[in-house]
Amino acid sequence: MNLLKKDNFQRDVFLGLLVWFMLIIFYYILPDPGIHDIIQKVFILGLFAMSLNILIGYLGLIAFGHAAFFASGAYTLGLFLQSDFVLNLAGFSIPVAIVLAVLVSSILATLIGVICIRLKDIYFSFLTLAFQMLIYSIILALVNITGGDQGLMGGFPKPPFLGIDLGKPFDFYAFTIFISIITIVLLRQLIESPFGYGLRMIRDNSERPAALGFNNQKHKLIAFIIAGSIAGLAGSLQALLDVGAYPEWAFWSKSAEPLFMILLGGMHSFLGPLMGALIFEILNDFVTANTRYYGLVLGLVILCFVLGLKKGLLDWLLIKLNRK
Amino acid sequence: MLKIDKLSKSFGGILATDNVSLELKPNSINALIGPNGAGKTTLFNLITGKIDIDEGQIFIDNTNITNLKESEITHLGIARAFQITNIFSTLSVQDSIKVALLAKQHGLNNMWNRFKAHSINKEAESIAKLSGLTKSYNTISSALSHGDQKLLDIALALALKPKVLLLDEPTAGMGPEERWKMIDRIQKLWKKTKMTVLFIEHDMDIVFDIAQNIYVLQQGAIIAEGTPKEIKSNKKVIKAYLGGGKK
Amino acid sequence: MEIFALFDCIISPACLLSQATGGLKIGMLLFLVASGLTLVFGVLGVINFAHGALYMLGAYFSWQVMTLTGHFGLSVILGSLGVGIFGLLFERTLISRIYNAELLVQILLCYSVVLILDDLVMIIWGDEFLSSVGVPEVFQVPPLFIFDAIIPPFHLAIIGMSFIVGIILWFIMTKTRFGRLVRAAAVNPKMLEALGININFIRAGVFMLGSFLAGLGGALAASVGSVVSGMGNSIIIESFIVTVIGGMGSISGAFLASLIIGMARSFGAVAMPLFTDGLMFLIMVLVLVIRPQGLMGNKKK
Repeated sequence: MNLLKKDNFQRDVFLGLLVWFMLIIFYYILPDPGIHDIIQKVFILGLFAMSLNILIGYLGLIAFGHAAFFASGAYTLGLFLQSDFVLNLAGFSIPVAIVLAVLVSSILATLIGVICIRLKDIYFSFLTLAFQMLIYSIILALVNITGGDQGLMGGFPKPPFLGIDLGKPFDFYAFTIFISIITIVLLRQLIESPFGYGLRMIRDNSERPAALGFNNQKHKLIAFIIAGSIAGLAGSLQALLDVGAYPEWAFWSKSAEPLFMILLGGMHSFLGPLMGALIFEILNDFVTANTRYYGLVLGLVILCFVLGLKKGLLDWLLIKLNRK
Repeated sequence: MLKIDKLSKSFGGILATDNVSLELKPNSINALIGPNGAGKTTLFNLITGKIDIDEGQIFIDNTNITNLKESEITHLGIARAFQITNIFSTLSVQDSIKVALLAKQHGLNNMWNRFKAHSINKEAESIAKLSGLTKSYNTISSALSHGDQKLLDIALALALKPKVLLLDEPTAGMGPEERWKMIDRIQKLWKKTKMTVLFIEHDMDIVFDIAQNIYVLQQGAIIAEGTPKEIKSNKKVIKAYLGGGKK
Repeated sequence: MEIFALFDCIISPACLLSQATGGLKIGMLLFLVASGLTLVFGVLGVINFAHGALYMLGAYFSWQVMTLTGHFGLSVILGSLGVGIFGLLFERTLISRIYNAELLVQILLCYSVVLILDDLVMIIWGDEFLSSVGVPEVFQVPPLFIFDAIIPPFHLAIIGMSFIVGIILWFIMTKTRFGRLVRAAAVNPKMLEALGININFIRAGVFMLGSFLAGLGGALAASVGSVVSGMGNSIIIESFIVTVIGGMGSISGAFLASLIIGMARSFGAVAMPLFTDGLMFLIMVLVLVIRPQGLMGNKKK
């Protein structure tokens, strides 16, 4: 049990795998496809929100175009799996497609990031929004490739690899959660590394670092690229789940979703956005089952959090626990 | 150690720094005084590369640092503490000093170690000790007293192991007792580190007490320099201070 | 991209004139809405993400008045005034709590109101498209033919009306005591308080005026297009574009930017019909990169 005492990478890997095993056992204990679906979606959207929280919570940059990378990951994966490469790669096509999706998103994040990080505050937010909507417009315009406003049509094959067949619900469940947990463990390493403290330093005071001989811009850019890449990964997993990709994933309201999750769960605790994704999904499931007016309920809940609790649930819980 | 040669800077036609030349000896402690608006902070901003120079040159240890970037100048051995505390509000004292240490060594690019377990901990402790922050080592910066925040600001500068330390009104906003504590601390760390120190200060008692050399700035120009004794009897200074209305 | 189509259009007086009028109509309607947004930002420092929802509300209100009374002028006036009053309540109950809050809090609060209003109008008016209130009888005349360009007189009326509103707005902001106080409030709110002027009064007034403008845009839009929940979600983004391009807080900048966007949309539809929206965002990106403070904005420290 020494492994659990120290806050280090090994412990996180251990805990991550433990959670994974427990969720797999859970799959068999509670054979309800609806619940399985919620859990895998929580991880996919949680990754999306956690990636955005690198920028919002740790760097203090309100990025409002993060869905651009979610969409680029989804479309890259979808387009690749629809292409003829799949015939040649067969058993490797899904891993290759995911890697490619992350790669394309990281390149896109580099291009957009280089320009955006020069701006501050609201101007940064608006520029990220503008880029995202530009990408949305491009997706709509390239009808021949992307299917325009209909989204990627006709689905795509999901050839099995390493004995994993993502066409089977269990395989998909175990695979998605595994990938997500590994990414979350790596992300925690990043956040707890000197690099992660560099982010907090810039968030707290963007002027002093220069007087410490430090280059903020480079640090911000790297964080932006990492955030974009993880959003791309989340998008590719979502595309695998839905066997498609839709232009709405690049629309600005898609960027608002992770913001909600960050708000609901908390931006100052590492797992806050994941918890936010859980609340978001449960709310979604519960409300849509009972009323058509999902927006009304979500809006009221957000209002309560913004004006009432004033912080995310996990942030609030941790503060309560620390006081005792 | 630090040599400034005919430095000038104007903002919109108004000379903020007027043909300033000075040379600080190694391991000396110097004061920069002058009425409000004399251009003291501007001079610091010029030395550290925070704002661009119009004319003149700056050398540190015979290396020309004129018009280098702020971060480059920092790497060549000039560090400063700020008049308005310029710290990292959510980080603890320990973490603040550690990021400052790592920032200079490019250590913040490291993604594979844990910050908390970083080997730099010992060094951070010694800087905290030097700055008199051992007691509040684990306190979050924003929860520190005003005086301790000032000390932390200085500690961040010390983390750079500078050859020249510029202190912009280290006693600003303090009561008399706190003031002398701070000055005592500065004197101690100057003696220990053998740095060259240049500080801005309004309290003449303090200046005359600890500075070896004093520079008097008025309307951007140095109107007098010398030992406390020389400055005390300098007619221009007396006129500037007594005639100027301030102090 | 069909550059030749654009070229053909520019050398043909008919096409040039009808596209220019179309661009002017789009631009002026946009100006009505965006001027309210930029005014609210300039004075209150709040990014009102719910501005598009207020526009939608204007459309529904005027549709309702039109259905009840059948009087076009009354529907526009009551519709936009109704939104103004709604805006006042919105400001007093919610917006006033977030004046000094972080950007994220402002965005989320406003967006939650968007979600709520989008559903509320569905609950009240149903989720079907409501057909447009229609062009008033006076304008139900054959279109004008100028250089063979087909120009609906009602479009000219919209352009004219927006111009007049723009001039009134300019007059209020520069010539009246209220306008001077508002501009002072934007620069130095503490100063006003020191002078014994109730800053809350100014803020509420500005927000009401901004809401009124959004409502007016929506009411006019209801006369030429259908009314539906969520109709504010694209106009809000266009208003943001205008606000950013013109310079945040600058009404004259918003005017200029509205014209640019109107023309870009109108002529863009000829040159690259699939990428008309993209063109707007491209302009927005370029402005933010080259001149982040916008065309008419002041550079902030």
